[in-house]
Amino acid sequence: MSQPIAGDFLSLLATRQVPALKVDANAAPAQTQATTVFAFHFKDGVLMAGDRRATAGNVIVTDRIDKVIEIDATSILAIAGVPATAFEMARVMQTSFEYYRRSQLQQLSLPAKVRALARLLRENLPLTMQGVGVVMPLFAGLDQSKTPAEPKIYFYDPLGAQFQAVGYAASGSGSGTIRSVISFQERYGNPPPSKLDLKQAVQFTSRVLMTASEFDAATGGVNPETKTFATIKILDAKGVRTLGEQEQIKYLQS
Amino acid sequence: MTEEPYRWLEAIGNRREYVREQLKGGSPAFAVKMKDGILTLGVGSGQSKVFELFDRHALAALGHPADIEKIRQAAIDAAHMEAFTRAPEDVSLRRLISFGLSPQLKTNFEQIFSAPFLIEMLLVELGATPETDIVVRLHFDGAFQISTTPVAVAAAEPEREKAAQDWLNEKLAGSPDRKSVVERCLEAWWRLIEGKEFSEEPPADWKNSLKDKVVEIGWLDRNIARQARYTPLTAAEAGL
Repeated sequence: MSQPIAGDFLSLLATRQVPALKVDANAAPAQTQATTVFAFHFKDGVLMAGDRRATAGNVIVTDRIDKVIEIDATSILAIAGVPATAFEMARVMQTSFEYYRRSQLQQLSLPAKVRALARLLRENLPLTMQGVGVVMPLFAGLDQSKTPAEPKIYFYDPLGAQFQAVGYAASGSGSGTIRSVISFQERYGNPPPSKLDLKQAVQFTSRVLMTASEFDAATGGVNPETKTFATIKILDAKGVRTLGEQEQIKYLQS
Repeated sequence: MTEEPYRWLEAIGNRREYVREQLKGGSPAFAVKMKDGILTLGVGSGQSKVFELFDRHALAALGHPADIEKIRQAAIDAAHMEAFTRAPEDVSLRRLISFGLSPQLKTNFEQIFSAPFLIEMLLVELGATPETDIVVRLHFDGAFQISTTPVAVAAAEPEREKAAQDWLNEKLAGSPDRKSVVERCLEAWWRLIEGKEFSEEPPADWKNSLKDKVVEIGWLDRNIARQARYTPLTAAEAGL
């Protein structure tokens, strides 16, 4: 630890012989972490998916968490990081977007939705800096200023900077693998992810998650035998749609 | 004016008369409980009569647009506050009306030196089954009744409102489709507006009176998977 500078608060503590606080990372409670979500453009719109595993250290807490959340009829949030904070962000967004739409009788614009999430991340800065509340979400929303409406993908850093993804975005501990695979497929695949139809996109999603789970213990895979599937939501010009287990089974078996 | 009790009673009576007079000629609103959801309908000149309040709640009203807007905002605020502090499932029409809107309207109505609310309204809550649907008729003075029939009407004159409601409940008995429900409600609207008896058959060209109007239809869908069940329908989507 660096020496206190004369006159600063730490030097005052030293003169009074009060021991300065030391952060002991091991003393912090084990955090539940949620990992590996991604989104990519395919032929019909945007597919956003996530595995369903939550871990705390080396412990698997559950394999049934939903990390891809419908915020309203035209936007989806995928959470990676500490779920306690991330779910609360989702709840704030759901309430405020719907409140705005109902009270003002018009949809909140996509830029406003994107910034609303950035603001929540910035407000979470103290917890982020302490390392106990880091959230790195993905957001997909419908740009209704275009005709037909265009789905767009955004990713964020933990301080709230927002970036629009051209083809795809991924977040969480398995995101390195996911990004590599999608990037490879986009360059050399035939067809590339952006040209896949829905059936192919669902098959691709499940395979990518299976691959990520082989390299990352915190990523749950897809296993039809144990009825473990990804959470998949589609955003197209008509809005958000959830692909349930039965629909995923249909596409995976065909 | 209020220093003697009878003067207060007189003032309240005058106020009631004034509100009823102001509401005369207001375009009626309708709510119909159906197998697949609840339909709300109003005929106006834009987005001014039928509104979404919350996930499973809607409002249809007649009266002064500014007053409808105040009540609508109050209901939306209360519903979203409840949903955020507790859960969306905890938002209930009974609580919203009994503890929120009705006392506010009553207090406003009895404050004789302030402007009264010029409104008559229907509020609806979609249940899991048609039996658990709730339709409430809320009046300008805060009085309210929970409807026990499939069709509820809000109109300016109580006798005509009752006649329309009875007629619609008779005509829409069974399980009518959405198109028939909308057509019958519009027919009832025409009779109410034109002051025609419900025993009379309308002329062939009665729909002409809808030409310069906007038919507003709200549909709370029981079978949709989404949290927000409300969809505004165009006349074409309603089958007209």
